[in-house]
Amino acid sequence: MSALDTLRGRMDAVATSDNPLTALVTPPYVLLLPLAVLLLVMFVGPMVAIVLFSVQPGNAISLNPGTWTVEHYAEILGGMASGEGVYGDVLVNTAAVSAVTTVVTLVLSYPAAYALARKIKRYKTVFLLVLIIPLFTSVNIRVFGWALFLVNNGVLESVVSLFGVSNYPTMMYQRWTIILGTTYVYMPFMLFPIYLSLLSIEDETIAAAQDLGANRWTLFRRIVLPLSKPGVIIGSLFVFILSLGADVEAQILGGGSIFTMASNINYSFGYSQNWPLGSAQAVGLLIITVVCGVIILRTINLKEIASRGDA
Amino acid sequence: MSAESSTLTDRLGAGAWYGYVALVALFFLTPLFSLVIASFYDGRFFSIVDYEFSLDWYRAALASGSIRSAFLNTVRISVPVTILSTIIGTGGAIAYTRYEFPWQERFKLLALLPIFFPLILLGLGMSMWSSVIGLGYGIVPSIIGELVWISPIVMFVVSITALGVDPNIEEAARDLGADTVTLYREVTLPLIKDGVVSGAIFAFVLSWNNYYIVSYLSGPQSTITTWIHGRMTQGFTPVVPAVASLIFYVSLLLVVAAFVVEFRDDGE
Repeated sequence: MSALDTLRGRMDAVATSDNPLTALVTPPYVLLLPLAVLLLVMFVGPMVAIVLFSVQPGNAISLNPGTWTVEHYAEILGGMASGEGVYGDVLVNTAAVSAVTTVVTLVLSYPAAYALARKIKRYKTVFLLVLIIPLFTSVNIRVFGWALFLVNNGVLESVVSLFGVSNYPTMMYQRWTIILGTTYVYMPFMLFPIYLSLLSIEDETIAAAQDLGANRWTLFRRIVLPLSKPGVIIGSLFVFILSLGADVEAQILGGGSIFTMASNINYSFGYSQNWPLGSAQAVGLLIITVVCGVIILRTINLKEIASRGDA
Repeated sequence: MSAESSTLTDRLGAGAWYGYVALVALFFLTPLFSLVIASFYDGRFFSIVDYEFSLDWYRAALASGSIRSAFLNTVRISVPVTILSTIIGTGGAIAYTRYEFPWQERFKLLALLPIFFPLILLGLGMSMWSSVIGLGYGIVPSIIGELVWISPIVMFVVSITALGVDPNIEEAARDLGADTVTLYREVTLPLIKDGVVSGAIFAFVLSWNNYYIVSYLSGPQSTITTWIHGRMTQGFTPVVPAVASLIFYVSLLLVVAAFVVEFRDDGE
């Protein structure tokens, strides 16, 4: 106990001194310092590295402040503007996959989130558990599971063959197969924010609106939808940025034949070993992510989520 | 409300809500069912008609040296990540929720921003940065890399628990003469214990399943997720579903455990 007493004495002595350096070893600074240092070194640093590498000449693997170029941006933007070549395809595929994924996850999630928040009482914990499990399973494993399900001679084929269906077009390696994968992988990120926002609506609010003569449609349009707006915004931005980064889905379910922004970035890094070209593409993703991330964090109210957890 | 709830249309309505959520749950479980079914099948291709249960692929997975070393590497990364991210994330959460300090909201923005980053962006940025600052590639860089993504998630989970705790309790303890160490040991930590435990479980499961960050930072070391990815892109090998299922069983057990911790008191 004597070591603990010494520590106690020291901490209280430090707490009363005014030296800004010793303030660093008192709460709250001593508590947040490890996280702040970790993120400044290993999160802000890498993001700066992406930006700096994007203006280096091709095939640079170290940073040279003397040489810089915008040739990669010119190549990428030129390709996207003309709509031809790989960058034209990348733009169309990525926009299609991300936009469709966001809309489809929103349409599928909203009724489920509403049911979980307001209609389902029995077995609710079981449903929540089933819906959260995929979030904690490797994206590789889930996408692989879909491949096993859809592939020729796979699980789906052996099930439908029981009903005498044997001829249907191949399911793998299409753009919609990638969208199925991204919809599946990112749907929890839509469902749970909407669920949490719907939980906050008080039963009294609904009852009051009904007493005032609101029908179901008015109730939804004037009460439920506006109150769940933060969840819809957070979920949509979350799904949109995460599906921009969908690489495994494109690789496995797209069979490497359909390039998205993420798979093309990965290709630039892995196969063609061109860090600056990959970085220039990643900068676009980085900007979108930071903007959407800050909007999400300004919309999230941690205190509100905490108070709902008790309900 | 209760007077009408027994009418037929209402019951049909309630059934429809349950049915829809059950469909969504089925959709969520489809690839996982496929995986488990495939892992017990004794042939190269599936067929429901002549499906035969077999444990051969699990035996093959457990006997393989490369799979065992990939498992070991994953454990070598996950265990330190769990311990360190729990400490770092809990520290951040206590600082953010129990104190007031300048730049508090900016700290929250920085601390929680990595959660919303596509992992491919984190992975490739860290991979180049690692080369620039001379950190290199392997187990230790993978640990540090995963900490960047997982510590903020722990902070998020613990913050939500900590914000539910009345700050007056700590003030009362201080008024009764508790110093900083006693305050933490006797009051703050016990109150946020459930959040810390579920944060730690989530940290382990996320690290256990992480692919993007380790694929960029592990260098020559193969982990179980990079091993699966490598095999997957080379076509179907029946041992892969067995290995992937083993990973999944561990995750499943731990997520159920986290749920039990979270909902233990809300059971009534």
